[in-house]
Amino acid sequence: MNEVLFVILRRLRRPLIVLIIAYAISVWGLVLVPGMDKEGNVVHLGFFHALYIISYTATTIGFGELPYEFTDPQRVWIVVCIYLCVVAWAYALGSIFHLSQEQTLRDAIARRRFALRVAAMQEPFVLIVGYGQSGIMLARMLDRMGQRMVIVETRGERAARIEIEEFQYSPLFLAADGRLPDVLVDAGVTHRKCLAMVALAGNDDSNQSVAIGGTVLNPSLRIITRVHTPIAQANLESFRNIELINPFQSFANNISLDMGSPERLRVIEWLSGLPGGVRPEPLNLPKGHWVVFGSGSFPEYFVSALTNAGVTSTRIELDANKQGENAAVQYQGMTREKVAAEIARAVGIVVCTESDALNLATVTRARSINPGVYVVIRQANVANASLIDASMASLRFVKAEVVSHKARQLLTSPLLIRFLKYLDEESGELASRTGALLEQCVGDRVPFMWVFDCFASYAGLREALAPHVDPPLSIGDLLINPETPPERIRAVPLLLLRKKQEIPLPGENTRLISGDRILFAGQRGDRELQKRFLLEPSPLTYVRSGVEPPRSWLFRHLLSRDRS
Amino acid sequence: MNLEKVIFGFFVIFACTLNFGFFIGEIDNVKVHDAGHLFAAVVVNLIALVMKFGDRTHIGATHLATSMVAMLQLLAATFVWMWQVNINHVAMNGETMSTIVSLSAGALVANLISVILLISETLRQTR
Repeated sequence: MNEVLFVILRRLRRPLIVLIIAYAISVWGLVLVPGMDKEGNVVHLGFFHALYIISYTATTIGFGELPYEFTDPQRVWIVVCIYLCVVAWAYALGSIFHLSQEQTLRDAIARRRFALRVAAMQEPFVLIVGYGQSGIMLARMLDRMGQRMVIVETRGERAARIEIEEFQYSPLFLAADGRLPDVLVDAGVTHRKCLAMVALAGNDDSNQSVAIGGTVLNPSLRIITRVHTPIAQANLESFRNIELINPFQSFANNISLDMGSPERLRVIEWLSGLPGGVRPEPLNLPKGHWVVFGSGSFPEYFVSALTNAGVTSTRIELDANKQGENAAVQYQGMTREKVAAEIARAVGIVVCTESDALNLATVTRARSINPGVYVVIRQANVANASLIDASMASLRFVKAEVVSHKARQLLTSPLLIRFLKYLDEESGELASRTGALLEQCVGDRVPFMWVFDCFASYAGLREALAPHVDPPLSIGDLLINPETPPERIRAVPLLLLRKKQEIPLPGENTRLISGDRILFAGQRGDRELQKRFLLEPSPLTYVRSGVEPPRSWLFRHLLSRDRS
Repeated sequence: MNLEKVIFGFFVIFACTLNFGFFIGEIDNVKVHDAGHLFAAVVVNLIALVMKFGDRTHIGATHLATSMVAMLQLLAATFVWMWQVNINHVAMNGETMSTIVSLSAGALVANLISVILLISETLRQTR
């Protein structure tokens, strides 16, 4: 509030002083000018009456002449007062309206209101810094899941779009530079309900500043940052709470997985697709010579990914920002003939410049040289989907999609990300086992994921998790349908998290202890079935012993007497 | 010479002197305390108060606080006057006047502090 109040006070100093002086002169004059009572005696108005008369005269309300009819000198003075005070008021009101239109003040008020509303947030929220293409996509996804958001965006016109776009829960937003620490604090980085911050600002430099600023301000906050270059990645990797999304690297990585170990990629894609959707098919990229067009770090990642997969490739520098005015396509450091020869002997090309028009032009030219070539194209702008459709490319990369998808996964299912890391790093054996289990449970659909918290604080689990219970609670018990045992819930336990220890694909007879968290993949309704185990002990007892325990005190009493 | 400083100093000191002018004299003697004098003190104090708006320094804040105290005391004094004479229709007497004058004495102290602040600020100026 201080900021705004001080601006107002400082700006209104002069109009207020003008008003005070005008009133003082008027009142004083009215007291000095002699008046006359009904009997003809000379009387002077008191300050009280003079102030009363000036108050209604200056504001042109006009209650008449009090307490006695005015004498002519008094009327002369009143005329002076009217003009003096009306002009003073006009000036004061003009200044106030001018002030209320001023951008500095409006920004200060908007900022203040934003900070107050963020501070008053009662529900957990995610802070998104940067409302570009990826930011918009992520915000929509999170909104559909009912997640509250606070958005900070540097460009005013982008931030203003949030107001007109349709959201279930309209996010709080501010047009300000997220690199400034006080902006981050106002946006709730230190708020206790802030779940995580996602930094999706324009370039790597600003993203680094935002992420580092956030982690310094609140060392325990989860921060998810988009990076494009190996340098930025190296800079941020040393921070414990910053998680990185490198869309270029993960896409290139998928390409090399598809060539090297398609089974592993199949399972990863299967698990990370949209739940309920159809299982993604393997890409079957052709193996042979590849040509990569583009500039910056994306083609570098591609070339190294292709090399990892044991495939040769040629990188051709093609920069959308360095295009000559006369030529539509200019290859830096290569003749057109050499490029044509490279394309002619390639099985696939990757076109990943920053300009959709240039990408299309390159693809068209390549097809005219080598019609059967496999095309991987980058769609730089989300809005250009129909243009890129026209290229009939075999595979398309949309950065915003990759980033927002990954960010959503990190935010909503961090355990899944850990499991995917195991799939990526360990031998193919884990992937094929997972694939077989998934096939059994969900067929060719993308499974739904959920986490089962095996905490003794839940009423339903307290007895089963007590020490010396025989047999001890195991994962298999949780996989029995509590409605119709011994039928089973068709779900796969993917990952068991026990304190710091992670066990991928735990076996069914794995013993459970309090504090375990298990990531399950299964069908849509299974999560609700499993939730019954948490609320009260009878479903668990029923599936474990086949006997439904009496719930009321009376029947429990009768039963125990029967036994004795 | 800085014109702004002149005007600022003028009003701060003027507020104090007018206040003193009203205050001086026997406390319950109706004749020595003039209504016009009190009016002038209120007006000049108001102007001094507004001039202190918006200064974010520490000394500026203290200046503002003293002016607010003086204003509060003077307004209370005028209110007592107005209440007794114009609303209760009691002729001005020694009792009422002593209340008014003692209230203005409080305002005088605040105004004195304001002047001291002004002087100390000036002395610190080493230019």
